[in-house]
Amino acid sequence: MLVNRVGAALALAFVLSAGVARAAEPKPADAKPAADAKPADAKAVASDAKPGNAKPGKKKGSKEKPSADDAGKKSLPAARLDAARAALVGEDDAAAIAAAESLGGSGAGNAAEPLAELLAAGAAPARTEATLDALAKLGAAGALTAPRAFEVLDLYAGHRAPEIRQRAVKALGTIKDPRVVATLLARLGDAAPGVRAAAGEALASRRERAATPRLFALVKRGDAGAASPLAVLATPDLVPQIAELAGTVDDGVIAATLGEYVQRADVPDRQRLDVIRTIAKLAGASATTALVEYVASVPAKDDRPSKREAQKLLDEREAAQ
Amino acid sequence: MIASRTRGLLIVTIAALSACATSPYRRAGNAGEVASALERSQAPAASSRNLVFLVLGGAAGSRVAAYDLGASRLLWTQPGEVTTRIAVGGDVIVHGAPPATGRGGLIVARDIGNGAVLWQRPLASEERLAGYAVDANAVYLVVVTAGAGKHGVQGSVVALDARTQALRWRHELPTSRVAGPAVRGGLLAIPVDSQYVILLDAATGGELAQVLSTAEAATFVRALPEGMFYGSRGVFLLSPATARGSRQSPGYLLAQLPPFVRPFYWYDLYRPEQAQYSAIDRNHILWRVAVEGDRARFRDDTVVVHDYRFLFGFDATAGALRWAYSHPSDAVASADTGSVIAFVTADGEIGALDRMTGARRYEARLAGEVVRAATFDTEGFAPKLAGAEGGAGPAPNVVAVLGGIVADPDRRFPDLKLFAIEEIGRQPGREATSKLLDILGERELTPLAVQKTSEALTARKDAQSGDLLAAALRVHADYAEGRSAPPVDFLARAVAALGPSGRTAAPDLVAQLRQPETTLPAAAQIARALVATGADDAVPALRDFLTMYRADPANDADPSALIAVAEALIKLGSEPDRRLLLFIAEEPHTVAPLRAHLVKALGETDPGAVKTATRATAATAATAATAATAATAD
Repeated sequence: MLVNRVGAALALAFVLSAGVARAAEPKPADAKPAADAKPADAKAVASDAKPGNAKPGKKKGSKEKPSADDAGKKSLPAARLDAARAALVGEDDAAAIAAAESLGGSGAGNAAEPLAELLAAGAAPARTEATLDALAKLGAAGALTAPRAFEVLDLYAGHRAPEIRQRAVKALGTIKDPRVVATLLARLGDAAPGVRAAAGEALASRRERAATPRLFALVKRGDAGAASPLAVLATPDLVPQIAELAGTVDDGVIAATLGEYVQRADVPDRQRLDVIRTIAKLAGASATTALVEYVASVPAKDDRPSKREAQKLLDEREAAQ
Repeated sequence: MIASRTRGLLIVTIAALSACATSPYRRAGNAGEVASALERSQAPAASSRNLVFLVLGGAAGSRVAAYDLGASRLLWTQPGEVTTRIAVGGDVIVHGAPPATGRGGLIVARDIGNGAVLWQRPLASEERLAGYAVDANAVYLVVVTAGAGKHGVQGSVVALDARTQALRWRHELPTSRVAGPAVRGGLLAIPVDSQYVILLDAATGGELAQVLSTAEAATFVRALPEGMFYGSRGVFLLSPATARGSRQSPGYLLAQLPPFVRPFYWYDLYRPEQAQYSAIDRNHILWRVAVEGDRARFRDDTVVVHDYRFLFGFDATAGALRWAYSHPSDAVASADTGSVIAFVTADGEIGALDRMTGARRYEARLAGEVVRAATFDTEGFAPKLAGAEGGAGPAPNVVAVLGGIVADPDRRFPDLKLFAIEEIGRQPGREATSKLLDILGERELTPLAVQKTSEALTARKDAQSGDLLAAALRVHADYAEGRSAPPVDFLARAVAALGPSGRTAAPDLVAQLRQPETTLPAAAQIARALVATGADDAVPALRDFLTMYRADPANDADPSALIAVAEALIKLGSEPDRRLLLFIAEEPHTVAPLRAHLVKALGETDPGAVKTATRATAATAATAATAATAATAD
């Protein structure tokens, strides 16, 4: 078999040199691993990917977890990347997944390349999921800067399998490139709740105000996954509209949205009071939970009026029961 | 032995002659007698009346009314119930009514000028009314009487003075199996024993001739100014040529009509229930005839189909739709006056449409009335719509009417909806394409209707509407906005049918290929459409699809989409794409059916390129590939 003779990794390079997918065209030097690279080298990748090894000479005390500032500055040696490539496309699923995990945990700026290459060439679902998780991990560490990463994640955000889309969206959300916003906004309309929630969280973490109308539309449809992101992005004038949904939408969704909204530091306490009272008018455990969580979120020494009001309303609810 | 045979033959011959001598139908089929009878008959004088007689219900109770279409006013209203259809003749109308007490019924004659009852004739307990007809001279009743005649039941015709009920004459029919009559110009026709029509002199009751319908039952007779007709599945013009009626005779008429049309030309006069107003009055064919000697053809080659709320004009020869009209409520009655199609709706609208174009020619309304049924006396009524150019409103927009029928929530007409879809597909222009696309977007459409719409859209190959297909494809599913995906597979099929003219829709097909909601069959159809349109700029999307799913076991069972996309890449791609396909063919994680297909396909197009492909690969997936190839073929 051709693949066996020249090596799976070489085959992958063969594909990539043919210009697979929208993922950026790979540089031949990057894409062509050593012909003798073996899947077993994945362990070496894992060990070399440790932050301490990525930058020889760095103090051990600072190598436990890469900071976002450090991320992207580190890089893995070419030989190790080649070994990772070989493992990712080899026949051993466990080794491939381990290689993906180790690359994801490396925090190295060039660790995304073999992962993106694998996605560009296509893989079975388990490897695809592990690869997407690894990319998300790199992204969380601020190490997902390669243009190809966006291209390939954008592609996988439209995958047919919801669990793969969800992972792709999560990883995409970690990329600073503003191009991701359009895709994330589109995924707010996804049929799968998990994908919508992941897109909403990503947009909220970016403070992407353009997402607010669509998140509100989702809350209006009773989508619980949109509650938290909307709470992060909602402007004061939107709060009455959210409150007015009572009776048409599950109270739990409204309580969750308003409950998270009042916890925001930028909300004036006077408005918090109103929102707290609105929450208290909602029935069910979700409203109680929202009030409890609000009270718990305020430091013990802080005796702000909204906290006192929340506590009072909680007591009344308890008494009523 | 010979003597015995001769004796037997003699007995049979005598028996046959005896039967012939005693058969009541020995005159049947005599063309000369029919010709003589018709010669005695005079064409009826044209009436100057344009009246419609209405059976009214509602809060004001059961009533009979006369409405003057010419003056657009109600002439009279009288209390009374109507059980059998109103017949009009001379200055009298006749209808059935329930008896004051007990069983049976009444035959009621009213003055046409004011609706007053002229006389009422109760049916005796041993009598059953088969039907009646009226002309300027008399009312003709066909009655079956129990306990009379040789067989204990006897059919007879009774002619009564229209205004006084005085007996003019009585004629015993040869059978008790008799149907309602029709009268025209002094000639009275009565269907008997299913296949015969007896012709009587309306003035004396004397029998003039007998008609034998050899091809089909004669369940109706109908008098029109242009002639007397009989038939059942089709229509025979009564003439010497149809004294023995066969479908080959020049006086036989049968319109070509689509399957949804109930081929109902006139009431089955043998069936008492059809003497009553019923759903038949709302679902029948309206026809008039142009007569030239023995020859007959549908007037203007047009017949009109009344189907509850809808009226359709058809080319009677080709079956092609000429016009379509839709009304919000059921038309309870309709008539072809020779110039217009007059109708009355349940909610009191009285209208008339041009029989050739469907354009509105008359409209009036009876405010606050519930109309149960109606009979027209409007021969020659040719109104002109006030204020409208040419005396008629605009002809109805066929596509809009048909589209309305498809979208109508009324579930009584599934066959009609399918017809409407097919007809929209036959209409030229962008409007029809646009309407079909709208229909495909309907959520309540039945699977069969979706299929018909798709077929119609594909079959029309409307090269001028590629942008409309593109616009339809531009719609994507969105949960937040409560929007579902368009029927991508059907749209892709329609684009494919356009060939290179569909290229403008290629970017939108590509966008749909990238959507997670796009089904595998739709993805396969998109790939085929991209090939058909020659959209080589779609190659990157094809590559993406193939690489992303090539190793997904979800495609093992049905690899048709992957194979279609691979085929598209072979046809649209260049050398780097062949290398990609070679990789996919040999990479062990690629699903087996795709690998097998690619090994075969690449081998066929460039045998050298796959020398290294193992036989094992091909053998392992050979079975699956065969199935996949079959699935790909559309």
